[in-house]
Amino acid sequence: MSQLLPYLFLGLLLSAVLAWWVWDAIVHRSTAEVLTPRQHRSTARSVGSQRDLGERIFGTEDWDFVLHETPSEIQRMFQRERTVLALAWLRRTRRQTSQVMRAHVAVARQSEDLQIVVEIKLALNYLLFLGLCNSLIGWVWLLGPVRTRKIVGHTLQWAARQRAAFAQLMARVDPASCRVVGTNFNHGTVRN
Amino acid sequence: MGLEPRNIDIEPAVTDLRNRTLSRLPGDFSRLVYLASSRDCNTGRYFHDGLAFHFSQNVASKAMALCHSQIFDRLVNVSLEELIEELRNYIFSTDEQPEEFLKSWKHLGSYRVTIPSECDELEAEVFLSNVKMALAILQTHQKPVSHDEQSA
Repeated sequence: MSQLLPYLFLGLLLSAVLAWWVWDAIVHRSTAEVLTPRQHRSTARSVGSQRDLGERIFGTEDWDFVLHETPSEIQRMFQRERTVLALAWLRRTRRQTSQVMRAHVAVARQSEDLQIVVEIKLALNYLLFLGLCNSLIGWVWLLGPVRTRKIVGHTLQWAARQRAAFAQLMARVDPASCRVVGTNFNHGTVRN
Repeated sequence: MGLEPRNIDIEPAVTDLRNRTLSRLPGDFSRLVYLASSRDCNTGRYFHDGLAFHFSQNVASKAMALCHSQIFDRLVNVSLEELIEELRNYIFSTDEQPEEFLKSWKHLGSYRVTIPSECDELEAEVFLSNVKMALAILQTHQKPVSHDEQSA
């Protein structure tokens, strides 16, 4: 019986992540639908200004200032505010990735040069990314963005590598509709 | 290709707006508030008589919208400390009592109307959150001053 415990725990963990994902998708579905046209317009307007938004949210500069210059009441308020922003940013990153993945699936269905092994690898990576993204949302929700910025940075570095591979694949399957999945996180300049 | 002629058209108007109007205002936050207050909330169009006279209403409105977005982008990316300084400059430029100003802005959420129409949702959230924080921090700085003033 005790041998089954790790599997039981893993199963419960996966179920929890899946349940969280479904619940989150249902709760934020209407928001996503409303926001999509605005985001599309703004992407064309100021891609550069959006690039550092993740770094802006997870950065320590503001926290250092708040920590040294303000009372504890303000520090708690800052943590709450940044947690909300960090969660919104992570959800958007996940949503953008999902949009590109859906676009890829639609194109891949019509492609004659489909490589099954690569597609399976891509699908597994995508599922892994979703799982990690949902875990990050949980961690940020529990601990706040300041304490989780290292783990968020590492995970998104991995996601950036996947993104590069994904972009190459998209270009091969359908060059016309090839789009870059933006995580809006400048990994090179993040101070851990 | 489609954007190029439109940018060329509004560029002189943007330069004129920057040189004659915006440069006279103390800081980016003042410029942001000025541009937001020149916008008709019902239509989203901006109005500036002088600029419309020299160019056209349409060009003037587009130039103002562009400057509004650029200033907003700059303010989204400044640190909280810099934003507090910007806000402090703006408060002093209004000649209002800082305490009254802060109370009013906090309760009415007046800063919400300063967001440009063509704006990324998350950028807007970051900006609103930072202004909310800046107001709260400025209020805590105000408290000891008013206490001293009262005791004096």
